[in-house]
Formats: sequence, structure tokens, C-alpha cells
Amino acid sequence: MPIPLYGFMQGDTVGLLILAEEDDAIQTLAGKLQDAASIRVARIDRVQVVYNDKSIDPALTVAQAGFEALDRFDVISDEQK
Amino acid sequence: MLSRDEWLPLARKLDWDYSYVREDEVFPEVISGHPWLPHSEWKDWEESFKTSYREYVDNQYEKDMAVYAVRDAVGRLENVQKLAAPWMNSLKVHAAALPLAEFTGVIGNLRGTRFGRDSAWRTMATFGALDEFRHTQIPLLLFHQLVQWDSQFDWAHKFYHTNNWFAVAARHFFDELTLGQNAIEFHIATNFVLETGFTNLQFVGLASLARESNDHMFERMVTSIQTDEARHAQIGHPVLETVMKHDPKYVQYLVDKWFWRNWRLFSILTGLSIDYLTALDQRPYSFKEFMEEWIIDQFLSSLDEFGLKKPWYWDTVMDELEIYHHMIYASAYTYRATLWFNFVIPSPAERKWLRQKYPKHWDEMDAVWEQVSERWRTVGPGAANEMAVHGTAMPTFCDLCQLPLSAGTPRKNTARVLARDGQKYIFCSEPCQWIFLQEPERYANHKDIVKRVLSGEAPAELPKLLTEYFRLTPDTWGKDAYSGNYDWLRTRDSSAA
Repeated sequence: MPIPLYGFMQGDTVGLLILAEEDDAIQTLAGKLQDAASIRVARIDRVQVVYNDKSIDPALTVAQAGFEALDRFDVISDEQK
Repeated sequence: MLSRDEWLPLARKLDWDYSYVREDEVFPEVISGHPWLPHSEWKDWEESFKTSYREYVDNQYEKDMAVYAVRDAVGRLENVQKLAAPWMNSLKVHAAALPLAEFTGVIGNLRGTRFGRDSAWRTMATFGALDEFRHTQIPLLLFHQLVQWDSQFDWAHKFYHTNNWFAVAARHFFDELTLGQNAIEFHIATNFVLETGFTNLQFVGLASLARESNDHMFERMVTSIQTDEARHAQIGHPVLETVMKHDPKYVQYLVDKWFWRNWRLFSILTGLSIDYLTALDQRPYSFKEFMEEWIIDQFLSSLDEFGLKKPWYWDTVMDELEIYHHMIYASAYTYRATLWFNFVIPSPAERKWLRQKYPKHWDEMDAVWEQVSERWRTVGPGAANEMAVHGTAMPTFCDLCQLPLSAGTPRKNTARVLARDGQKYIFCSEPCQWIFLQEPERYANHKDIVKRVLSGEAPAELPKLLTEYFRLTPDTWGKDAYSGNYDWLRTRDSSAA
């Protein structure tokens, strides 16, 4: 069952609905948001996912990181944290 | 025979004492509004535009004739067809947003006509209702002739009857402001906040833009409407003055709530029209400059006059003045098929102008436009490539204003999630969350577009969402006005801004 999340890509002008799978790696989640925002935001090579004000280990899965439906996450440039 | 000056107070002040029913049954608080006060507290209610019905009808007749004369002289289809493409789309925005919103103003005023607490207030609200009828009918009449030429103008009638995301947001606003509101809140929120604060923005500002854009029909229409607004806006002042004596905190709350809600909607309607949908050489000022001159100073002085404070989130409004409508426009451009009018990409010269007017965050916005331009360059111009330069993921919306989560800056979006009673809500900004939390029972059950999609109420696939839920068609949904065919896009130097 996909988990609907509010994704905010740094540099973007609007939040996007991202459907994550429980076993998606955090890195995959970041990639989904980058793809969804790519019409407005150029791809950034090194990014990190911020959830509840904390940077999340990219190797964790969405379930392991504790994401629940309709939570917010941000994808930001690694250099700007 | 009585002179006019003797007759007028007699005809306007028609209150009497009730003998077989209580006053609070005639004027229940739930519909007359808070605070409930006996009529003795309202009996001195007075406004500056004292007019009789005969005078009202004579004046309105003359104003209507002036509008028709301008329509006959310069408002024909062939005149409209000569207007610049961006401005034409500003017209489409207003053709949809204005007429039926004005009709909700009829309903709100009629509530004052029946449940206003003094007869002079009720008389004035009757004229207010008639005014709003006029403001519904004139644009419907003027825009109707354009439907045969461009079906996007059909949204003058259609807009509020759809579940288009912007219609959902506008209905959420007007349902609360006008259709379902008690008389006191209606007259403070509409007459004092909207009409004293924002009507200048809509009508004085738009008239000036229309003049610069050679659209004399629209200029005449909004100028004519503004003369009515200036009169019936006066209802709000004595209502506010009386409530201030008894519950100043409540008045401050209403002002704080409604200034924000108006700001959200009108910064989009007018901000986009001034800074993007008016040709560069026809822009008399930026949206920010206009707000500073016509709204901010004037509204603050009105607040001061009544002993009210600036809304607590004032610094947020000042910050948003630099960026909010830019965030919305860029988002809407990349989801243009979800709307009923067409868009243009700001050219390098326009981006240079925008950078001068909005230096604080323009670097961040410029990067977005560069990315969009690059996409057009990659796929090439042409109507067939429209959807290749369009967002595909579902955009998200605020659970209070119902507008896209586009507040803050590209660097840091200010959206915030709230968990309450087992539900999650998301708000674009702190003021939207604050308004929600003041009256959660009023707002909690309203579903934004995302939640309608997730619950299966609205289709998840974009084509079905557009056609079945937003009631758009391939003919009417928004496109790039030039199909990506911009001279400046053919060179690499589009970032000259």
C-alpha cells in the first residue's frame, strides 16, 4: 500500500504528493521527488532527505525511518544543510 | 411636503419596539452576529452616503448607460481581439473569478438587509445587494459576447460550478465570507477588510492596468463597479465602531482573519495580472509597489483610525509581498492545464524587470524559469509538446485557503503539518494554521483536492482529473499562449536577466 507524503524539493515553488512504498530506500524517495520536481528544479547530484527536522540515513527504508501517511519531507542539497 | 433632508432620516430610521416577540428572536445572534446587543446600542448607526431609492436608481441608470456607451464604442469583439495575449488571459481570470463572487455578495448583503441591527444599516445593505447584482450582471453581459470567439471565456459562468482547484479555493473563501456569514462578520469582513482594503487593489489597480493595456471596456467596467464599492463599503465602519465598544478583541480577530484570507486570494488574482499578464511596456508599476502605495499605507491608517493593531502576522505579509505570487505563477505555469486560461513565460527583459522590482528572492525564481525554458528548448516549440513542459506529479494544497502549498521561498517552503483528532492537516503558512485552529469545527471536514483524490472522490489520473473533475477540455485548459515559441528561447542567452 503506497504511503502518500508531502514532498518539498529545495528550489521548488510548490509541494508535491509523492507516493512512497514502505520498502523504498530513502535515496529512492529522494529520487522520486527530484523526478517529480524536475520541470522546475534542475537535478542536484548530492542531496539529503530531511524528516522531522533531521537528516535521514539514505540507506534506511521509508518504513524504518518512521514515515506515516501525509507526513512532510524535504529534499535539500547536501551542501546546504 | 417634507424637504429631502427632512424626509431621508424618516425613511431610513424605521425601527420600533417589539411587543409580541423578543428582540433576540427577531435578530438571533447566530445570524445577526456577535456580540448580541440591544437595539439601543445600534440606534445611532449612521453612514456618510445617505441616499434615497429614487436617487440610487437615477445614479445607477446613468452609470449603466455610461458602461453601455463605452461597450458600443470600444468594447466590441474586434476591439477585444486586438488586445495583447497576456492581458487577454488576465481578462479570462477576472471573467471567471468576478461575476459569481459578486453574486455571493448579493446574498451577504441581503443578510444585512434582514438581520442588520438598525434600519439605516438594513436600508444601506439593500442598496449594497442591488449593487452586487449589477456587478454580477455587467461582467456576465460583457464577457458573454466573447464566448463565441474563445470558449475559455465560458468560465465566466462555469468557474464556480466546477471542482477546479482554484474554484474550490475561491468557493471556500466566498462561502465563508458572504454566503454563510452572519450580518456583523459579513459587514466587517466584506465592507471594512475586503472593500476598504482590497477593492482598491482590484478595481483602481485593474482600471489603471486596463487603461495601459488599451482595454477601455474593462477599465470602464471596473471603474463603474468601484463607485458602488466606495459607497457600500461605508456600511462596515459604523458596524465595526459599535462592536469595538463592546468586544474589541473580537474585531481584531476578524480583521486578522480576513486580511489574511483576502491577501491570499487577491495577491494571486492581482499579482499575476500586474507582474505577468500585462505586457512589460504597459506595466505602470509592480504588484509590490501598488500594494505598498494603495493597500498597505491606506489599510494601516484605517486600522489606526479605529484603534486596531496591525495583524500579528504583518511581517509575513511583507515577506510574501516579495515572493508569494511569483511562487504561485511559476507553479501554475507548470500546471497550466489545470486552469482555464493561458500563460506566458517571462522573457529575459521581463525577468530583468522582475529582478529590479523583487531583488530579495529573484535569483531563486530565475533558476525555476531557466529550468522551464530549458525544457522547452529540449522538446522544441509547438502545441504537441505542451504536456512535455508540464508537471506530472500531483501538486498539494493548503487545508485552510485551499491554494497550492507555495508559501515561503523556493529555498524553504513554509508548509506545516498538524495532527489533530486522528487527522492530519497541512497548511501553507502559520496564519492559515492559526485561522484553522480558531474555529476548527468550521474547517475540519472540508477536503482539499489531494484528500479528495486519496479518498477516491476525485480521479487520480491527470487527464481524468482535468476533464471529469475540473470540467476542462483540451480546448479550454490552459496552455502556453505561444506554445513555447519565443524568439529569445532560440538563443542560449535566455538567462540575460
